[in-house]
Amino acid sequence: MLWYRGAIEMIDLVYWAPVMAGGALAGASSGALGTFIVGMRIPFLGVCVAHAALAGAVFGSLFGLGGQLLLLPAIGGALLAAFALGMANPERVSLDNNILLSFLFSASMGLAFLGIGLHGIFGKSDNDVRSLLWGSLNFCRWEDVWLMGLVCAAILVFVVLFFKELRAILFSRMEAQAVGIQVGLVWTMFLGITAVTLTVNFQTVGGLMIYSLVSNPAMAAFQLTRGCGRVLLLSAFLGLMSGLGGFVIAAVADLPSGAVIVLLSSGLVGCAALFRRYRGG
Amino acid sequence: MGSVNVICLRAVTVHADRRCLLDVDCLCVEQGGIVALMGPNGAGKTTLLRVCLGLVRHAQGQIVVLNENVRDLRGARLAMLRRRIGYVPQLLPARSELPLTVREVVAIGRTARIGLFKRLTRRDWEIVDRWIERLGLASLADRPFGAVSGGEQRKTIIARAMAQEPELLLLDEPTANLDLGWRERIVETIDQIYTQTRISVVLVCHELEVLPPSCHRVALLESGRLVSDGAPEQVFTETRVTELYGDGLRPWHEAGRHALVPGGHRDD
Repeated sequence: MLWYRGAIEMIDLVYWAPVMAGGALAGASSGALGTFIVGMRIPFLGVCVAHAALAGAVFGSLFGLGGQLLLLPAIGGALLAAFALGMANPERVSLDNNILLSFLFSASMGLAFLGIGLHGIFGKSDNDVRSLLWGSLNFCRWEDVWLMGLVCAAILVFVVLFFKELRAILFSRMEAQAVGIQVGLVWTMFLGITAVTLTVNFQTVGGLMIYSLVSNPAMAAFQLTRGCGRVLLLSAFLGLMSGLGGFVIAAVADLPSGAVIVLLSSGLVGCAALFRRYRGG
Repeated sequence: MGSVNVICLRAVTVHADRRCLLDVDCLCVEQGGIVALMGPNGAGKTTLLRVCLGLVRHAQGQIVVLNENVRDLRGARLAMLRRRIGYVPQLLPARSELPLTVREVVAIGRTARIGLFKRLTRRDWEIVDRWIERLGLASLADRPFGAVSGGEQRKTIIARAMAQEPELLLLDEPTANLDLGWRERIVETIDQIYTQTRISVVLVCHELEVLPPSCHRVALLESGRLVSDGAPEQVFTETRVTELYGDGLRPWHEAGRHALVPGGHRDD
């Protein structure tokens, strides 16, 4: 157990506790949502939400908002993109969700760049905007952790209340609609809660890490177990372990935490795939 | 006293991209009846089922299903109607990474039935397990849906529709892409479900071989129009088969089963 004691001694727990808690919460919340995002084959949702949030934050900044207050227009932008996707019935518009997402992504990116350009024209600084969406886990503080905890609690309540509907939508959105499940309501709420969660996590721990924590734990869980509930729990647990474990490894080895978390979650996918192959699943 | 209809369509039309997909003057399905909707590709069979489910919003005409005027229904009321209809779609989700087990897929039928904010009770799971047992899926119940064969997936979706305890069953090509053995097993399953429950059934199919022995009525669609309606022997006459499929085939009807076999009329 010498390595364990050594690791604890190397980490200043008082300073790093919110960072570890933030990593764990970001991992758990992104991992849980990832079950549905990966299961429905819409991993592009994360990128789309990030740029919609950026567009919201950019225009918030243009209207004079700054600091933590920029989170509000960022969430607004992300929600707008999410609800636009929710309202567009892929069957009625004859387009796949991923194609709709690519449209929303390019539109929101265009808006974000327009806003950044306008910052230059009006002589304003866009530093607050950039730091909002591309935050770093190492600067996570308790106030961020509370916000992330709140988001986790909202996800928990949502999943408990609508688990059976989410399971049906995960199977087939069209079929769920045809058998009388209120898909529009549940799907739109899911997209809304995903938009808020990802935006809050982006500003705390950074985009690259969130993309990996949305897709990797879910992909690993899909390889290791079956049944929607078990996959959901395992994915949240693997996300939590990636966030927390990645930080500890990074701290002990003096490496960049975000990169280690991403690599750890990627490694989990590889191990899970090997395990499944070895098991013959 | 007149019989009760579970489906009654009058002057129903569906147009898309300036093309007529469906133009049905009158088609009714009696309660407890089983009707096969047949016709070539693009005849409007699937569109007709989707009209009954309220999935085609731009459909015109009178669409009455289970005594509800479908065109008047929106949101929760439309969802309530759909909960009374078991629907087996033509295309099944084929994502191999789907984490749902066969039992969970069958449970989707109960999800629809009980509505929001309620958990599946022990009785719901008993109904799910009963249909899994009845359709011979017990040994596969805990296997991922994506890992079972196409025929087993079809049976799972039929079990899902029946677990819903529907008043009307709509089957859209339930034997599509199945080999002959599985095709026969699915036909047998549909026949058993119908004879044991007497649920009203509308079955969309391409092939006469797929008609279960209990099905004594065929509605034939062509280019969206209902061109014939009656017993399979009356609808699929030699003349009709030649009109539909050319000279090479002739109808065969025996002991409640039907088929098109090679060897039609030849001019030479």
